[in-house]
Amino acid sequence: MSNPKFVDDSPGERIILMGNEALARGILEAGVIIAAGYPGTPSSEIMATLAEMANFHPHLKLEWSINEKVGFEVAYGGSMSNVRSVACMKHVGVNVASDAFMTACYAGARGGMVLISADDPNCFSSQNEQDNRYFGLHALVPVFEPSTPQEAKDMIKYAFEFSEQFQTLVLFRTTTRLNHGRGDVVLGEITKINREYSFDWDRSRWVCLPSHSRVLRVRLLERLEDITEFADQFPFNKLTISKERIKGVRYGFVAAGVPHAHLIDTLNYFNLIDKVSILKLGLVYPPPKKLIKEFFKNVDEILVLEELEPFLENILKQIAYEEGLSKEVVIHGKDYFPQNGEFPAELYLDILARFIDLDFEKQTVPEDMIIIPPRLPILCPGCSHRATFYALKKVEKKMKTKFVNSSDIGCYTLAVYKPLEGLDTEICMGGSIGLANGISKVQPKENPVLAILGDSTFFHSGIPGLINAVYNQNDMLVIILDNRSTSMTGFQDNPGTGIKITKEPGTRVILEDLVKGCGVKSENIWVEDSNDIPLMIKKLEEAVNAKGVRVFISRHICSLLEVNELRKRQITPPIVKVDPEECIGCLICVNQFGCPAIMFDDKNKKAFIDQSTCRGCETCIEVCPSSAIYKESE
Amino acid sequence: MEIINYNLLNVGVGGQGVIRAIQILSWAALREGYKVRTAETHGMAQRGGSVASYLRFGTLIEGPLIPRGKADVILAFEASEAVRNFNYAGPQTNFIVNDKLIIPPMIHQQGLEYPTISQIHEFLANVSENVYLIPADDLALKAGNQRTMNVVMLGVLVGINQIPIKKDTIFDSIMKFIPKKTMDINKTAFELGIEKGKTIRGKENE
Repeated sequence: MSNPKFVDDSPGERIILMGNEALARGILEAGVIIAAGYPGTPSSEIMATLAEMANFHPHLKLEWSINEKVGFEVAYGGSMSNVRSVACMKHVGVNVASDAFMTACYAGARGGMVLISADDPNCFSSQNEQDNRYFGLHALVPVFEPSTPQEAKDMIKYAFEFSEQFQTLVLFRTTTRLNHGRGDVVLGEITKINREYSFDWDRSRWVCLPSHSRVLRVRLLERLEDITEFADQFPFNKLTISKERIKGVRYGFVAAGVPHAHLIDTLNYFNLIDKVSILKLGLVYPPPKKLIKEFFKNVDEILVLEELEPFLENILKQIAYEEGLSKEVVIHGKDYFPQNGEFPAELYLDILARFIDLDFEKQTVPEDMIIIPPRLPILCPGCSHRATFYALKKVEKKMKTKFVNSSDIGCYTLAVYKPLEGLDTEICMGGSIGLANGISKVQPKENPVLAILGDSTFFHSGIPGLINAVYNQNDMLVIILDNRSTSMTGFQDNPGTGIKITKEPGTRVILEDLVKGCGVKSENIWVEDSNDIPLMIKKLEEAVNAKGVRVFISRHICSLLEVNELRKRQITPPIVKVDPEECIGCLICVNQFGCPAIMFDDKNKKAFIDQSTCRGCETCIEVCPSSAIYKESE
Repeated sequence: MEIINYNLLNVGVGGQGVIRAIQILSWAALREGYKVRTAETHGMAQRGGSVASYLRFGTLIEGPLIPRGKADVILAFEASEAVRNFNYAGPQTNFIVNDKLIIPPMIHQQGLEYPTISQIHEFLANVSENVYLIPADDLALKAGNQRTMNVVMLGVLVGINQIPIKKDTIFDSIMKFIPKKTMDINKTAFELGIEKGKTIRGKENE
């Protein structure tokens, strides 16, 4: 239901695009051939949009790679072959890709090469809120950051040209509100690039062994110098000088990205837009030194508006010191703004009012405030992960012990909440198995060590941890929750489904064969249907009690996909009900299993099933101790 | 009249059609020549959690977020979510609220209390003079499918005359974004919403 117009070569047309769609459009307009990445909120729709575009623009060569490192390398291979290429990932994905990125920056780009890092201030859907502008500083690579969907499209299109001009990689940083916000965008022309695409056998450049890397590092530093020189002319940097004073003071503001957009709104709100100087940065690294010096000359008090770390603030302070201006200009930033979370729009109003000493009344909370308990995200109705964690709890109880459930990143992380409380660790992709390797070295035998992760997460970075466990004989039970999808980020396919990003058939990788190939013995591999709870309890107990490295594949398709599939095949799922005569009101189905379709009538003290929510998976039938839950016969 | 900026906050529970509603309105605003910005909840927050989408349009807007206290309309697809986000409202803000409560499963699991519709109504009435409870799920069922609730609510927004976009522009935009098979049902849902909105406006004018 997205707008098909975004695939048309209709320059000048004004349409609504989500930030991620605008980025995809900019990539298309730039004449990019190769795009690769791994799904991760808030970046996922960039690749998904490109996949839609590929139906109309078959020159696009796209893939969901197995992880971000491979995705980056796929794109970089394209750049080596003189093709414009892009790698898309969320901020923590750049950590995975960084091994390649930190050396690729030495050899630089041949075909334009952009790495998109979608950062997530406020951890809307992430395990941390790291500020990836530092990756640019770390790798000596320029960092671009757009403020609006229009600028995102225009700037990324330009990024490929820039990359080729300076033979540099470009780190393109966005934040959630840009990725997942819509705006009006005027389309540009789709560039057709006529050049020969082939590998270039320049070993002195692409073979980064010590003797080459020493030379390449010098070139990297020279490139950065050239870019720093150019930064003053960078088309998305903008300095606006005002000669006015407010109560005798010349105020200056510095911002990039989404905070710049809110700075403009806030200055408009106070009618101050013409009374202050503004340095807007599109290139957040390296800094435009001449512009900054010019800015310094025209202001007395500076406020830097940036979410997360004081990245620009520190750069400005450094330049002020180098220019001997640290007494003349006063630079503020994190002394006003918090270093965590996203900045809500009213925070700008409040802080600017405080900074310039304006009248602004903060909103007061009514006294008779009623408390609404939080509505946290939960596992969906009929989710197979719920069944697995429920069965595990039962086994744990039966064995009168406590498992160490080392777990991972995915929908199933939501099982940390009540009532399942089924996992004890979550750090990073694939971390469950890695951590279990260490925990199992010292954990007393009474507390079995489990590593629990999803199918896509296992493919992403669980495999090395599993081989490590086999090799080093770190005993554990690895449970792979195989729901045939990368669900949390939007149901992307993965090697387990064998379907490619374009929905064309690829080659399926069989999970049980892969596990066997990692060295797990055949008798230590189980494959069961997650939703068959009695069987799951029996088999999980077997697996917990077995010795060595064991792998239990708990398999059932994601319930959302299952519903869609049934709908497509015009199959009506069964109707599941609670017989009020049989229900004893024990609440096990509500307080232990916790499917959101199961409700409780407080008046009659009976459970009932909300038919508009129920997916008819029948899993809960086995949960009821008094057999009150039943499938309605046709 | 030139609209400098219009701020609408659309709240609800993941899966209720908030993103689609904002997509529909943002296209309609574009068609009427405005600058448009939205911010939406995707990813983990969608799994049955609270969702809030911001829609801003006008002639002088840049950022996607609405400052607290500055929303013109809070369009709530679930009643308690209106309370959760009440501080986006000022005394003039219009609360258009689906009178349905979706009680999260954890309330029972943790033995917590959840407010009732009348408590919610009373609270919101202390925040703003303009609070309208709408039986939107019932109207959607009447139209033929509960999932058209978001379109019913868009109809109310139009009927009550609280959005500076023409009815036909919004209707065209709805037709653009819904599955073709559901056109008739959605048309009915939109009309039922408009009718409901008009009766409320009628009462206001009495």
